[in-house]
Amino acid sequence: MALHLNLFHEALTAKAIKRRDPLKLAMFGLVAVIASFASYYVIELVKLHSINNSLATVKDEFSKLEPQAKIAKKREEELNAQMKSGDLLVKKVESRFYWAPMLEQIMQVVPREVQVTRLAGDIAGEGLRHCSISLDGLSAGADARKVAEDLRTAIAEKFTGSYKNVSSKFRSLEDGTEMVLLDGKQVPTAMFGISVDLYVGAETAAAQPAHKKK
Amino acid sequence: MKLGKEEIQKICLATLLVFGVIYSYFNLLLGPLSKHQEALQKSVSALGPEIATAKAQIQRTRELEQGAPLRMATTKQVTAMMTEGSPVAWFPPRLSEFFKKQGLEKSTTRLQSETVDKEMVGFRKLSWGIDLPKVGFVPFATAVASLENEEPLVEINSLQLDASREDVEMQHALLTLTNIVKQ
Repeated sequence: MALHLNLFHEALTAKAIKRRDPLKLAMFGLVAVIASFASYYVIELVKLHSINNSLATVKDEFSKLEPQAKIAKKREEELNAQMKSGDLLVKKVESRFYWAPMLEQIMQVVPREVQVTRLAGDIAGEGLRHCSISLDGLSAGADARKVAEDLRTAIAEKFTGSYKNVSSKFRSLEDGTEMVLLDGKQVPTAMFGISVDLYVGAETAAAQPAHKKK
Repeated sequence: MKLGKEEIQKICLATLLVFGVIYSYFNLLLGPLSKHQEALQKSVSALGPEIATAKAQIQRTRELEQGAPLRMATTKQVTAMMTEGSPVAWFPPRLSEFFKKQGLEKSTTRLQSETVDKEMVGFRKLSWGIDLPKVGFVPFATAVASLENEEPLVEINSLQLDASREDVEMQHALLTLTNIVKQ
């Protein structure tokens, strides 16, 4: 068996020690970690850049849209106000109270034994509108009070067909001091005052709860 | 393998270095970057709904503008009936002329008040008092009917008829009416 003498054992040992150097190994590991960290950082930077770009795009789009939206909003408000006032105008025209048919009905119910000395009417409110009429006059006949009472009920009956919640009440009814000539006869008179209240139109949404409370 | 003192020192140093690098990486580089990214992402996300709202607003207004002429057609017809100029100049003569046509020669029209309805933008209401000193009931009722038919922008708010003591056939009529005019 041949004898082998390792004359470089010291050099080889030093080489092995150098190869196993923990600092060197740690440095390699550190470099690898740093490289991976750096790559991840670069990836994140690219991501950031892309987000930055999309933000710039979005901001640009928004800066273009914002003034347009503001103008559009203003225009919308204008149009809505115009349409609202237009609708209201049309509604006002359409929901007018007509006095002529009422005057015609009054003319139809006043008998020849009655002279109306004063007629006053007033309409108020929006939606469901309240109309109040006041009739003052002189009734003549054997029973002048009954003539006045007939007129009051006739008014209520006549208006009930055309209007809502009609009420006809005597404000005053007194025997007259004068006698009048009717159909060639002297007959007594009565002075009356009748108040008529009625409603026209449709109840608005705002008016409904108030009405329900009653 | 037995580590020498020098090697242990080197390992300790390397470990410290690794921790230092990791700490610096996460706290000084990646941390701020992530924060910045999050902030940008938030800005992008926040602008998204705003852009959508702005687009929806523009679209809504466009649709409203397209539908407006149809909805405003009746209003336009009503507005077209309104006479231009100061109502005090044209309304009393117009009514006077109207009543003359109805056979009621004497009439006086006076402006009583002027109101601006907040809801009716661009329009105002004028209240007029009309005095008809000598009218018969039937001609008066006919005139009222004609007025209500011919003047859609006029509404009679109140009327009063008083029998004349001198002439039983005649009455003294007072009308209060409102007229809608352009502002």
